[in-house]
Amino acid sequence: MQVYLPIAEMSVDALLLLGIGFGVGWLSGLFGVGGGFLLTPILILIGIPSPVAVASGANQTLGASVSGLIAQWRRGNVDARMGSVLLVGGLVGSALGVQLFALLRRLGQVDLAVAIFYVVVLGTVGMLMVRESVRAIWRRRRSGGVATKAHEHTWLHGLPFKVRFRKSRLYISVVPPLLVGFGIGLLSAVMGVGGGFMLVPAMIYLLGMPTSVVIGTSLFQVVFVSANVTLLQAWQVGSVDIVLTLLLLAGGVAGAQFGAAMGTKLRGEETRALLGLLVLAVALSLGWDLVRVPESLFTIGPAR
Amino acid sequence: MRRLLAALLLLALPAAAQQPTTPQLAADLSTDRVEISTGFTGSSVMVFGATERLIGPETGDDVVVVAWGPPQPTVVRRKVNVLGFWVNGPAATFPEIPGFYAIAATRPVWQTLPEEVRHSARLGLASLPLRATGSQGPAFRAALLDLKQQDGRWQEYAAPITVAGGRLFSARIAFPDTVQTGAYRIEVLLVREQRIVARQELFLRVERVGSAASIAQVAQVQPLVYGVVCILLAALAGWLGSVIFRRS
Repeated sequence: MQVYLPIAEMSVDALLLLGIGFGVGWLSGLFGVGGGFLLTPILILIGIPSPVAVASGANQTLGASVSGLIAQWRRGNVDARMGSVLLVGGLVGSALGVQLFALLRRLGQVDLAVAIFYVVVLGTVGMLMVRESVRAIWRRRRSGGVATKAHEHTWLHGLPFKVRFRKSRLYISVVPPLLVGFGIGLLSAVMGVGGGFMLVPAMIYLLGMPTSVVIGTSLFQVVFVSANVTLLQAWQVGSVDIVLTLLLLAGGVAGAQFGAAMGTKLRGEETRALLGLLVLAVALSLGWDLVRVPESLFTIGPAR
Repeated sequence: MRRLLAALLLLALPAAAQQPTTPQLAADLSTDRVEISTGFTGSSVMVFGATERLIGPETGDDVVVVAWGPPQPTVVRRKVNVLGFWVNGPAATFPEIPGFYAIAATRPVWQTLPEEVRHSARLGLASLPLRATGSQGPAFRAALLDLKQQDGRWQEYAAPITVAGGRLFSARIAFPDTVQTGAYRIEVLLVREQRIVARQELFLRVERVGSAASIAQVAQVQPLVYGVVCILLAALAGWLGSVIFRRS
């Protein structure tokens, strides 16, 4: 069943979009991430123009994260104060990111920039995740679990503007969370992702937040930053396709429930290792596209 | 007034005086509107008509149909290898080329018309003026011609003109799903003895209708409102999904 996408100005099989939404939703439910990092490359692969894929990917991430945020909020797993600090950084970062995106579009380098961002960010994050989880599995096999320190004091704790984050049981400077929020916001505007897969490790390892509030707080940041990206992309680039978004969401929310049910049966380390491998695989395939000899040396596009 | 003058002129010519009212060429379209709705997957329009004399190589009469879309500035980029990575390098911008162009003829125009006529009437892809700014060079033009034909937005003799009874002709112009909206012009030409002896212009609009039209309209005219609506709809869809699929 073909459906015409009014902003992308092309028709795509609606069942294909529902299927992609379901698959990505299933994986995101399984791993507890938004799945934007998978969705945007897949959309580009099936021929959606990069600007539309990025903008609609952000819009889809917003919808996919809302239900998760509601659930986490009810359980009291959201540190709203930490979330707000991250969000301030995130809004500034995403606003700048959309400007950067518009500039890249004028220069004709959107595809390259999106691909490089994906390869570098996903490659790094994937490698870190695989290394960390393999270590954890190995450690568990050897000794049956060693208690580690909650968090260590580093130079980060010497910074000024200290604030008490009660839910996170932290008393730290607002500078590191602001910077983390800014960085993720920038990346989410250029890559069309929510950034959960980067935000979660950053909160655990950089800020030292307890795992119980990490997912909820990252969803808080993701929902508002992706809303900001959607608004700015619609306003300045004009590339959000609501028909595309809603079709992906329809498949996605169903898939996420099945994924989440299956996720509870897997162990934490194994899940993280699998997610790390998946992230690495996406990075490698996008990297391969950058270095292999292209089928056609020329591309055409509208001149704006 | 013009028709009256033409009739008077024809009366003055003894050879044509017998049938002054019969036009040499008459043509029309199956529709003057192509609608892009939510289920649009491309469309086609039939151009049909009749000539006064028989069409064919024996009589030397040929029919040419040319369809023009609105101008669409297009940029052609060439990938270059920088440090092992393929990146977009030099680019040529073609500011004044039609977004859609299709030509169909009973015989290819290079057989029936001299080069000057083909160029001035812009018949055939080789006769389109492809002026570029930025990078020059024949490779960019070749790539433009090649890629535009691949996605179906430029067509050269892609569909035949069928002739029935020697004088009735019809041709189908196919629009791909990526067709732009706007005003399209279709020229029907009668060619005889290396000259264009009659021509008729027909007009066609391609427009979005229904929800596809209103979405594109709001997104373009009121992007801020559209952005807010996108946010609310996505949030609503996510929330609805979690309600429907919640495990009790």
